[in-house]
Amino acid sequence: MADQATFEDDVMPFAPQLYSAALRMTRNPTDAEDVLQETFLKAFRGYHTFKAGTNLKAWLYRILTNTFINRYRKQSRRPSEVELGELEDLYLFRRLGDSGPGGASRSAEEEALDRFVDEDIKAAVESLPENFRLPVLLADVEGFSYKEIAEIMDVPIGTVMSRLHRGRKALQRALWRFAEERGAAEKP
Amino acid sequence: MSRKCDKAAEKVYRYLDREMIWYQRVSMRWHLRRCPPCHDGFDFEGRLKQRIRRGCREDMPVELDERLRAFLREHGAS
Repeated sequence: MADQATFEDDVMPFAPQLYSAALRMTRNPTDAEDVLQETFLKAFRGYHTFKAGTNLKAWLYRILTNTFINRYRKQSRRPSEVELGELEDLYLFRRLGDSGPGGASRSAEEEALDRFVDEDIKAAVESLPENFRLPVLLADVEGFSYKEIAEIMDVPIGTVMSRLHRGRKALQRALWRFAEERGAAEKP
Repeated sequence: MSRKCDKAAEKVYRYLDREMIWYQRVSMRWHLRRCPPCHDGFDFEGRLKQRIRRGCREDMPVELDERLRAFLREHGAS
């Protein structure tokens, strides 16, 4: 059982990470702050149920994710599963390779990767439907395992894997569009 | 692009996420060592993953940290 008296000391170090995640989830600072505040309040009130020595970060992300979903699900309920469509594996790599000088030159693809600015990355992540954005955030940005993501999102592990798979490919398609816009994909 | 390469590409995320049992991992490494195109593709996916992580990080405003602490104290936290 965790001690509420130490809550601030235990949990505040996670605030910047949680804020970052909340911002990618809600896509604006005001909503991110609201979600974060509610998350902290729920975490504080439930802190006595947290088993000391277990994964505090995962516990907090579970509360954050639930808070976000409960608040914003109404706005974004749409059958996003069908919208993504199918994409080939290694989508971005192959696109960049096809368009780069001399076919699949490794440095050309790396250069293209360097040319993305943080705003491209954020916009691409935020363009994903919620069902896919959450697992991508939890895996790629927060580094959670599939099992942890399944627990955080309260879905079966197979669902995590398929959403992650498709979400990442959709992310690559969004990035490919930015690459084209920026001319990163242009032939020299 | 052989069938082996297609099979490998399907499993790229499980490999990079370290969500494979050891013998699958070993057999994937074996393939990657012998197949430069797959090696480069996997390498790219790994770099992309890192790039996404970096690109999504955001600094929390100092005032927000203060507001959160004040909010917690107001609600009875230490």
